[in-house]
Amino acid sequence: MFATMRSTVNQGIIALCLALCIMSAGAFAKAAHASEFSADIVSRDAAGTVIGAVAKLYVRNHMVRIETPEASGGFLLINGDAGTAQFVRPALQLYMDAKQSSRLTQIFVPVDTQEPCQQWQAAAGNAGAASAAGEWRCERIEDDIMDGRRAVQFRVSSPVSPSSQRWIDSDLQFPVKLLAPDGTTTALEHILVEAQPANRFAIPPGFRNFDPRALIERVKRSDAWVDP
Amino acid sequence: MRISGLNHLAWGMSAALSFSLLAVTAGAADDKSQDRDAADSVKTESPIKHVIILIGENRGTDHTFGVYKPRGKHQTISNLLSKGIVNEDGSPGAHFSLGQQFSVAPQPLFYIGAPHKAKAAYDNRGQMPQPNTAGAPSAQSSSSPPFAPAVLAGLAAHDPSPDFTSNTDTILTTGFTSLAANSLDSRVPNAGILPNGPFVLQGPNISDDDYTGDTTHRFYQAWQQSDCSTASATKANPSGCLNDLFPFVMATYNLNDSKVPAVQGNFSEGNSMGFYDAEQEQASLLKTLADRFSLSDNFHQSFQGGTGANHFMLGTGDAGFWSDGNGNPITPPASQIANPNPVAGTTNKYTADNNFSNCSDFKQPGIAPIVSYLEALPYRPAPNCATAHYYMLDNTNPGFLPNGFRAPSPATQNMLPPSPVRTIGDALNDKRVSWAYFGGSYNDAVALSNDAVTAGTAGVLNSSTALGEAALADPAHALGVAYCQICNPFQYSTSIMGDPAQRAAHIKDTVDLLADIQSDSLPSVSFGKPDGLLDGHPQSSKIDLFEAYVQQVLDALEAHPKLKAETAVFVTWDEAGGYWDSGFIQPIDFFGDGPRIPLLTLSAYSTGGKVNHTYADHVSLLKFIERNWKLKPLTDRSRDNLPNPRMRDDQAYVPANMPALSDLFDMFDFDHEVKQPFLE
Repeated sequence: MFATMRSTVNQGIIALCLALCIMSAGAFAKAAHASEFSADIVSRDAAGTVIGAVAKLYVRNHMVRIETPEASGGFLLINGDAGTAQFVRPALQLYMDAKQSSRLTQIFVPVDTQEPCQQWQAAAGNAGAASAAGEWRCERIEDDIMDGRRAVQFRVSSPVSPSSQRWIDSDLQFPVKLLAPDGTTTALEHILVEAQPANRFAIPPGFRNFDPRALIERVKRSDAWVDP
Repeated sequence: MRISGLNHLAWGMSAALSFSLLAVTAGAADDKSQDRDAADSVKTESPIKHVIILIGENRGTDHTFGVYKPRGKHQTISNLLSKGIVNEDGSPGAHFSLGQQFSVAPQPLFYIGAPHKAKAAYDNRGQMPQPNTAGAPSAQSSSSPPFAPAVLAGLAAHDPSPDFTSNTDTILTTGFTSLAANSLDSRVPNAGILPNGPFVLQGPNISDDDYTGDTTHRFYQAWQQSDCSTASATKANPSGCLNDLFPFVMATYNLNDSKVPAVQGNFSEGNSMGFYDAEQEQASLLKTLADRFSLSDNFHQSFQGGTGANHFMLGTGDAGFWSDGNGNPITPPASQIANPNPVAGTTNKYTADNNFSNCSDFKQPGIAPIVSYLEALPYRPAPNCATAHYYMLDNTNPGFLPNGFRAPSPATQNMLPPSPVRTIGDALNDKRVSWAYFGGSYNDAVALSNDAVTAGTAGVLNSSTALGEAALADPAHALGVAYCQICNPFQYSTSIMGDPAQRAAHIKDTVDLLADIQSDSLPSVSFGKPDGLLDGHPQSSKIDLFEAYVQQVLDALEAHPKLKAETAVFVTWDEAGGYWDSGFIQPIDFFGDGPRIPLLTLSAYSTGGKVNHTYADHVSLLKFIERNWKLKPLTDRSRDNLPNPRMRDDQAYVPANMPALSDLFDMFDFDHEVKQPFLE
């Protein structure tokens, strides 16, 4: 949706985003698998020192839940089937589109080791990221072993992002490591394959969707908003 | 704050996903000590060491205090009640006809003084345009005021934004119309058959806790509504402004005479004639403050029209103009230039309702009627229009985004190129007097601006649109769209907004104002502007929400008696919002003055429920600051050069030495200190 709005700037992006929307539904469906696991998300600098806070990841089939201290008061829910990412705030009994609020939702989505770019680009589009536009390239480099697990290494690039390297766990069909050009890494550690309760991945009943469009419409009625 | 550095994988979560402003707040007090120490060394003219100017949105004097009886001994006030236009219960009074409104037959050109022969009074059976819901909310929402109660309870409990406090936890859920948008506002008693004149916004279904339809308030419309002509001048009203075309202009300036609703661009209708009854517990906090401190009943919006130009005047004593961004005036795009002349075949539909005019050129549309009128006045005020300058008459976003990003293409983005006009901030800087502008939801607006820069929209779109798109992508900072860019006169200024150090030192959020009070680090001069939820603007806010904002600041001060003792709080508005007012208007130059707006002066030296009649406007606040901190007028053309008025006993509201503006010192009695709570 956000990418479609940007189309006022470049109509060429419209067609691409619409195509992506159509493609993404199929892409998510194509990545069907039945993995259930949990892991820590750890970032390290080029020297291997942990940077930032450790986040927690839970996966149940196409659903992903991310909890991080940097997003206090809530958790992220990614629905691979629906192509959505939401931030849930239990204390407020609200949820909202995560959009660009976190790069995590653009990276840690179920992917197909044969064509991972489709899922990553769709996730970027869902987040409204500028990187969703244009052509993505996922070049398979080699098969690898990560912490004793089989993985496939890719070189990934998009028109607005520098090339990075990403590893996908072959059995989990899920990204497990990213290497940035500056040497920093973001990786899943302490992967524990085990059943995940369904309610961990559900928006609790009664929670309301916080949609900023209504707020924007209200503000448009004030003098804080100036129509161009 | 955000992690959207797309080429950096040391990602993290946006701290603002928590809706939290705390992180930003914590870093906000860093660079104040130097200013504060310097300010302490500056001797002031009065015992006042701190000034806080709180600015609401869109309420006039008669609209707010039209039915108010001063509590001070021997005090008088000029308002609807004292003139007999209405009774104490808001019903039509013995002199109701003093408020009657007229329609005007079609004229070939724009006018500000309608020919008497062309005018016809509306009848008293609903012929006058009636109140309309316009864009007031019809129901509660989960993401916008008025909130569903469960949502607001959560926000109030967990969100540190000053918008969500115990002061607002109820009134941010109430006041929806339950009526269709752009329809007759049947909550107003007798709506549909209201007589010709002002009507009270009070009844079983309407009060100051209700959202109401807005009314247009723009430059040429406001001059036309004021209906000024020297032919109408009297001793008591020497400017001859009759203020009798308010609903007419609203009903015609944007309406083809086909009267097809689809082509009607606004639904202001008769909203301009609504008023509240302070003697019937409306605007009760404001009334209490008037009862206990001082109120001006001759304070005016400084610019005819709307928000942006009035705030600009408040910060500069002048009008902004279109430039090349380096201080040189140039002609704006044709799409920005106004032409209020009527479209042929219509009653009064403006040809081009745009934002800029070169008022030094008598031949340009709309200029001659105003300048000719000024020249005909006995005191012949200068229009103050510099050659080849196209002045900003109506709302135009600043050329800087809230984060300081400079719009690369102001002409296509419809934003005012960075302004060279000297501000009061520059003058205070020169004297090393500390100051800050505290804008509601500014921190969120900065976050959205950062988003827009990253997304590339900041360089292409108008800043309102860019921030709106950013809010869709970053809901956690969505409240940033409610930060009012055009309300911050310093956001236009190259010397302030274009300098990262100046911006960091002086442009802040409401949370910083409260924190500065609590930490006893309040700047000498503070401007406080609530966001669009709390600013009191009709349709998007309510009077009681602005009262809640004011009370929040006063409560903070109340907890710090030493700071309170040396602080003056001025509570005023940007303009009357298009609401009709019965008061005298002193034309000063091409740009204004406009109708009266309330000014409340709260300090230990301005108590007793007094009502001050000395003529003043927004620039009077600059004059107060300049006198108190011994500053010179900002420029050789700014309005703060005007003398203080000499007021006469026989004409309490008309200066003998027009044009003149008070410096407000006579609202204080510095020999008489009274320590009392703000509220009972």
